[in-house]
Parts: sequence; structure tokens; C-alpha cells
Amino acid sequence: MTTTEAPSRDAAPPQTKLPRRRSALRRRNALIGWSFILPNFIGFGFLTLLPVLILFYMAFTNWNVFGKADWVGFANFQRLMGDGSFHIAFWNTIYYSVMHIPLTIVVSLGLALLLNNKLRGVAFFRTAAFFPYITSIVAIAVVWNLLFSPDYGPINEVLRAIGISEPPGWLTSSEWAMPAVVIVSTWRDMGYYMILFLAGLQTVPRELHEAARVDGANVWERFTNVTIPSLRPTMFFVTVMLTINSFKIFDLILVMTDGGPGQSTLVLSQFIYKKGFEESQFGYASAAAVALFFLCILVTIGQFLWNKKRSA
Amino acid sequence: MTETQVLVTGGTLRKLNAPAPVGRTRSRLTVGRTLGYIALIIAAIGLLAPFFWMVMSSLKNANEVFSVPVVWVPETFVWQNYIDIWTKSNMLVWIRNTLFLAVSVTFLQVLTGSFAAYGFARMKFAGRDILFLVYIGTIAVPWQSYMIPQFILLSNLKVSNTLWSIILLQAFGAFGVFLMKQYYETIPEELSEAARLDGLSEYGIWRRIMLPLSVPAIASLTLLTFVNTWNDYLGPLIYLRNPDLWTIQLGLKSFVSNLFDTNYALLFAGLTISVVPIAIIFLLGQKYFVEGIATSGLKG
Amino acid sequence: MNRKILAAGSIAAVAALALAGCSGSSDAGESTDPDAPVTLTLSGWSIDTTPEFQTLADAFTKDHPNVKIELKEYDAAEYNTLVTADLAAGSGPDIITQKEVKYVTTFQEGGQLLDVSDVALPDGISGADSYEVDGAAYAVPYRQDSWVLFYNKALFAAAGVAEPDGSWTWEDYADAAEALTTDASKGTYLHRWQSTVQGFANAQTDTSVLDGDFSNLKDYYDNTLALQDAGDQVDFNTSTANQLTYQGEFGTQKAAMMLMGTWYTATLIAQQASGEANDFEWGIAPAPQLDEKTTGTDNTPVTFGDPTGFGINANIDSAKADAAKQFLEFAASEEGAQALAEIGITPALTNDAVVESYFAVEGAPTDDLSKFAWSTHDVLPENPTSSKTATIQGILADLHTAVMSGSTSIDDAIKTAEDRVKNEVG
Repeated sequence: MTTTEAPSRDAAPPQTKLPRRRSALRRRNALIGWSFILPNFIGFGFLTLLPVLILFYMAFTNWNVFGKADWVGFANFQRLMGDGSFHIAFWNTIYYSVMHIPLTIVVSLGLALLLNNKLRGVAFFRTAAFFPYITSIVAIAVVWNLLFSPDYGPINEVLRAIGISEPPGWLTSSEWAMPAVVIVSTWRDMGYYMILFLAGLQTVPRELHEAARVDGANVWERFTNVTIPSLRPTMFFVTVMLTINSFKIFDLILVMTDGGPGQSTLVLSQFIYKKGFEESQFGYASAAAVALFFLCILVTIGQFLWNKKRSA
Repeated sequence: MTETQVLVTGGTLRKLNAPAPVGRTRSRLTVGRTLGYIALIIAAIGLLAPFFWMVMSSLKNANEVFSVPVVWVPETFVWQNYIDIWTKSNMLVWIRNTLFLAVSVTFLQVLTGSFAAYGFARMKFAGRDILFLVYIGTIAVPWQSYMIPQFILLSNLKVSNTLWSIILLQAFGAFGVFLMKQYYETIPEELSEAARLDGLSEYGIWRRIMLPLSVPAIASLTLLTFVNTWNDYLGPLIYLRNPDLWTIQLGLKSFVSNLFDTNYALLFAGLTISVVPIAIIFLLGQKYFVEGIATSGLKG
Repeated sequence: MNRKILAAGSIAAVAALALAGCSGSSDAGESTDPDAPVTLTLSGWSIDTTPEFQTLADAFTKDHPNVKIELKEYDAAEYNTLVTADLAAGSGPDIITQKEVKYVTTFQEGGQLLDVSDVALPDGISGADSYEVDGAAYAVPYRQDSWVLFYNKALFAAAGVAEPDGSWTWEDYADAAEALTTDASKGTYLHRWQSTVQGFANAQTDTSVLDGDFSNLKDYYDNTLALQDAGDQVDFNTSTANQLTYQGEFGTQKAAMMLMGTWYTATLIAQQASGEANDFEWGIAPAPQLDEKTTGTDNTPVTFGDPTGFGINANIDSAKADAAKQFLEFAASEEGAQALAEIGITPALTNDAVVESYFAVEGAPTDDLSKFAWSTHDVLPENPTSSKTATIQGILADLHTAVMSGSTSIDDAIKTAEDRVKNEVG
């Protein structure tokens, strides 16, 4: 989306040369623009951007966190390429994201659409959807571990009752651990993204819906031709945040499975944490963090370009 | 209808000037609505079941929490856990600290975030898009990886082990900027144009047009930032070392874990107490997410 | 252009400042007056429920009244992360408690530990090797737990099974577990940590994890899985799902035996006193051995364990260094050991006097076998002191969860672990 240039209010005398007026305009816009951004940027730049830049620098060193950081060039990255655990973490992260992202978008958008009305009790349902997100992650891990218990948990009891004689091992099986984590993670996130979609749905002009209905469009057609296009900025935001958060997933897996059984739920954030804080290889961990960053950024830029093309 | 008409038409014949649909069509609507409600109730059960188990477990004895098979409702309700939390732990101090942090961080995030978002969304200047990508880029880096350099920086500023460290950490994040910018982009340019012609400065436009029109976004940003700060564990763990600075999550964790093991019933009692303020805020504030904005007066 | 260079330069400058940082305390006066008041900070965890730090601090101050020791509390679960962060920022404690041997090389290679080779250690102290790097000592042990077999005398009597007499091998242990299993309780309980299997496997076959050869693990895992399959031991998955606590399982008599570290005696005594654990007679026996060569009270049973020690912050004020070294010497001495034994901690020095103090505590077992098991053993380190240890133990932890959960066979898991060591550690 492009912004228009505000017409200059201080009426410049007609004799002023055009180029100078434009550059004065540009400078004025820049100043005003920066004045808006500065309060946030001062804090952000120093407290977030600077540590991140330091991190990037450390990826090229053999930092031991206590002050020694000798330059090693690309050695850490070469090592990552050959590191079996890094590959496992990488593909697990992709596996998790590919399952989690579409599922969460569909469910949370569906919830938002369903609950975007003034029916009685809708406030209760919205709150119910949000509860998983505000519950402590420790409680979530404990509860779901119990629910997923292969021999005694309610989930497998239900599965057995409906005829599945050998229900999955869930968190105790290396095949089913990741799907179990995805289920819990989607359950947890749907309220969060539902809220974002709810806010976005308020920008869909009612008149368009009315007009479409009068024109005879059914619910699905109205959805695809009115709602979705109006939701594009929100959809872009949700998709980008969801993607980045999925690639970065850490807390939930740490408390639920700690990467296990074996390495079946090891994800990149956890690989980074282990290498850094458990094995004290901070330079190497920084390189892995940079790798994760590039993964996120490449996908985000792709989404950014897709969004730009769509909105042009 | 006469009997003949019923037999011939199957009973669906309707006079042209008959009133709005009643009977079967109305019941079809009600059926649909009832089915919808049933689906929602099932979904709500699925969403709330784990939380329900947690609350029920907070009323059990510590060694009854994990039983085989899963016990949903305890036989005797042990309210002692809640009494213990209030009387034996420093819950009030923790709530005070957490409240202070959550409110400050949320206020600063929303203020500076929406302010900066206007600059990104409406002002055009060199390097704007790159700077914005830098913002998003920092979201793409996991916090644990730059936690140490950040800690060193804040320690050098001598704010480590004070509540300011958490405020500084969280108040200037990129998330708020990103969320508000996306929302601003849905507000039609024509409104700002008109305001500019009326002589309003950019700051005035931000205050009088953008802010009121972005209430749903502000409400959601407020809520999400509040919840994140309220439940944050690792940040306070690293920066808030003095027990009188502890937040609820920190305090609870240390209160219920001792040399022996974790008293889960006690922990769940504390966590239940911790959830209540957020649930209340959400219940009361959710109408702001769905507040319709008047876009009438503009062509769509 | 200028602005960019300026920006880049200032970033670099701040970064350099931030990291070269803070070497904490500056070098203050050169007063060597031994009686000048000194305050030392000492890092500890769960201070309320871990009395050893305060006990040692108080006992030391009694002998050295001019030295005040301030305890800095750290979260127990994230102790090493937090201490690392503090040291990196220059606000670490003067005396750094070494909670896990795995991290000693991190601190030492990072230049955070003072060379304490000149601190005198009593003869026969256990665990000092764990703190030696390149011939110099960087910390002293004050506590050395080892793994023994706890057993419930009441349940043994009820099942009519002969109590352990110090001569058990793993076959004897399995037989007893089978005989002891009833509907109400299992024969034995094994906690979920990797050390419960691997610690014995490595110590008793005299294998170091650094070799990268894990074939010695196979028999030990086979034995444990057999116990699980036979129903004599709660299986790993149930234990995980239900967050079973070892204190709960043994303390409420759900298992008749349990392999656990000696730290549990203090807990069990306290829990029996408070009523959290049932009231029953119990004892400790040497851990089951690999074969007859090391069984019996004439021989020395082989078990494993890591010491806990104190190191000194390399950036400490030179005026305080002497006092700090004196504290280290005290903590490792017989006097320190006595103070620890009286509160139920297993000190690094376990001579006869210390044994008497330990077992004089009310509620402690009084039989000779318990005293033997506690004091006479060959304790091999669970974690060898090397920078590779943490990585290798991480790989073995993954092996443990894979095998115990039943999702991978032991042979496959061993092969994977060995390949990973070659790939990741080199």
C-alpha cells in the first residue's frame, strides 16, 4: 500500500523551483516520519536491535560468553551444515510449522467468523477460546501429558471406545509426539489469533456485505469476495506472526517433551538453547540463531512480496 | 389452506402477500442456530477441559493430583491450598509487582507502538521499508539467543534486578508496531486527506482520526501485551532476583517447589488465582474487539 | 554516508564496551590484615530448603568472626544459566558453588575460576579429581553423594524376602523385585533420569562416556526394560505422564526398593518426621554390582556420583581472596564435614567420626550395612571433567528417553548415539 504525499500547507511561492520544493517536502516528511518512530525506536534500537546485532557478530566467533570471542569466519556455519542434530531440528521445525500454521489459521479464522456477532453468550465462548492462551504453560504441559497418557489417559480411552484398538502413543512415541505437540499448540494459539482476526473483521465494510447479499451472492461467495479481500492486511499480519512464532517455538516443547522421545520433537530454538546454555558453545549457538533468522526472514519476505502483489 | 391445497402442494404453498417466513423456515433457522450452539458448546468443553482439570486439581491433596485413572472432580474439596497461598506466600507482593509491570509495559507498548506505526503506515521517507523489515527481523530471532548480550547491556545500565529492566525490555517491542501498522493500512486515506485539508497536523490526525478508528486493534494489542507480560517467566527469572521484586509466576514456582518435589495442587491454586484478573479484563473488554467502526460516510 | 559510519562506529563501540565489560570488582586496597572485616558472597539455591550453605557459612563465621558470608539465592532449575549470565555481566558471586561438574570446564576455560591448588585438602577426600584441569585445581569438593539402594524393611518382612546383605548382583536385585511385587506395591522404583541406568553402567564397567563407545549400556538397559515388562517396576511412560516423584513412590511405600543418591536420606528422615512419608523402617545397602568381584562387605562396591564444590571468582578482590580460600579449606575439612553430616548431607570426607555424626541423626537407619553402604564405596564420577561432557551427556539423554519410552530399540539407539558423538563432538 502506498501512501500519498500530503500537499504542502505552507503555500510555496509559485516562483520556487520544483526540485527544491520536492526535496524540502521529502525532508519534511522524513522529519515528521522519524519523529513518530523515534520514541519507540530509541528503546527498540538499544535494547533489542543492538543485542541482536551483537548476536550476529558472535555467530562468526567462538564466543564463550565470558568475553573471549575470536573471529572464526564461517567455521560455525560450515559445522552447522554437517551437524546431524541441526538437520533434525531444522526438519522438525518445518514439520511442526507446516502442520501448525494452516490448522491454526483455519481454526482461529473460523472461530472469529463464528463469534463475530452479538448473540447471547458469545462473550462466554470468546473467553473460552482465549483461556488456553492465558493458562500457564507449566499447567498446560502437565495436563496434556496426563490426557495423552497412552494407557490411562482419557483421549486414548475415547479412541478405544470408538473402535481403535491400538491408539497412538502420543508423547511417548517418536512418531506421534510431534502431532501431539501440534494439537496442543493449536489449542493454545487459536484464541490468540482469533482475537487478531476479530479486530480485523471489524474493518470489513458492512455495506459491501449488504450490497453483495442484495446481488444474490451466497455466504461462501460473500466470504471469498468481500471478507477475505478486506481482511488482507490482518491476514498478512497473522500469517507472518504465526509463521515466525512457529519457527521459533520453544517453551511449549521444552516443558512438554524436552525434545524427546529421543530427538523427535527437537526444534531449532531448542537446539540453540542446548548448544548455548547446556553445552556452553555460544558462538555456535549464535550461528544457529542466525540460520533460524534467515529461515524466518526468507519466508517473511516471500509473504511480504505476495502481499504486495495482491494489493497492487 | 384447504385440505386439497395441502394434499396437492405438500403444504408449502404460500400466498404472495403472506408475511415473512414463519413455521418451517423459522424453525430451520432455529435448528441451524441450535446446532451452532451445540457445536460451540462442544468446542468450549474441549477448550476448557484442561483448565477445568487444573482448577479441580487445585482442590485436591498434593498426592492425589496425579492419579490413575484421571480424576475430574475430587471427592473432598481441599480449600486449604487457597488459604495457604494467600496467607503463607507473598502473593500480594507478587500481584502488585506483576500488575505494575503489566500496566506499564502495556501502556508504553501501545503508546509508542501506535505512534511509530503511524510513521510507518502514513509517512513516506527514505529507508522506511528497510527499517520496517529490520523491526520484523528482530521478531524472527529467538529471545534466548540474544538474552545474554541484552543482560550485559542492562546490567551496565545498572537496571538489572529492578523492575525497570522488565519494562525496558518489553515496552519497545516490534510486535505492537507491526500490529498497529497493519491496522492503520485498513483505514481509508481519504479520511486523512480530508483532515489535512482542514488544517490538521500529522500528530493531530494520529490522535483524532487514527486512534479512535483503531479501537479494536488497540484493544487487542492491550490485551495481548498485558497477558504476555503477566505470564512472562524467563525474563523476570533472569532480571528480578530479589524476592520482593518477584512476579506471580516466579513467586509461585519457588513457593511450591522445594528440595523435595513440586506441590502441584498448591501450584494450580496459585495459577488459578493468577488467571482470574486476566479473565475478568477479557470478559469486560472484549466488546472493544468487535466495536464496529463507522465507515459510513465514505464510499466503500 | 557520514551518518552511517558514525552509526556503525557507535554500535561497535557500545558492543565492545558491553562485552569487554565489566570485569566486576576493581582491584581495591592491598590490605593484608587478616582480621579486617570481609564480606564474601556465595551462590546457593533453594536456600530455605537447602540448609547446607547457611550451615557452612555459620560454622565458618564462628571460627573466623571477621568474615561475613552472604548467600545469593539462585533458582535451582536454572542455576547454571543464571550464574553464567551474572558472571558474564560481572556481577557474579565471590564464591561460586559448582552445582554440576559438567559446567566446571565452562567456567574454567572462561577464566572465571581462580586457581585454588594451594588450598589444603584432607586425606581421603573424595571428588577432588573432578575439579582438576591441566593439573591445577579450580574448586574444592565439600559434598559427595553416591548412589545406593534404599529398601523398605517392612515390605521385605511382609513378603518374606531376605533383606540385602551387601552381596547382591543385578540378578539378585531382579529376583528380589519380582518377589516383592504385590498388588499394592511394586518391587522397585526407578526414577526417570538418565543417571539411574547409565551411571551404574559406566561406573561398573569402568567406561568413560568420553570414549564414545556405548556398548556397555546394552545389558543395563535390557535389565531395566525386563523389570518394566515384568511389571516389577512402574514403566517410564506412566512415570512421566503422572509426574511421579521418587520421594512419593518410596515414601508412601508404593515401591519396596529404590536406587537413589544418598541425598535422599535427609529428605526421607524429614518427611517421615513431618508425616508426608509413611512411618516404616528402612535402610540403605550398597548398589547391586556387576559381578561377584565387588560384592560383599569385604570388598568395595562400585557406584557413581558427582561432587558438589566451591570455586572462587577469578575477578575477586585480592584482599578477599585469602578469606575465600580459607572458606574453601574449611568446607572440605573434617570440621565442615561434621557440620554437614549433622544436617544429613553427605560430605566429601567420610571418615569414621563423620559417619558417627551422620547416623546419630534421629530417624536415620542404625544398622551396620547402612553405615557400610554410605561410607565404603568406590565412587566413580558420573560426569568426567571435560568440555565434551555436556554434549555427550545430552546425546545420551536422548538415548535414554528413546529407549525407556519404548520408541527405539537399545541397539538402534546405541548406534545413533555413537554416530552422533562422532558427528557432533569429533
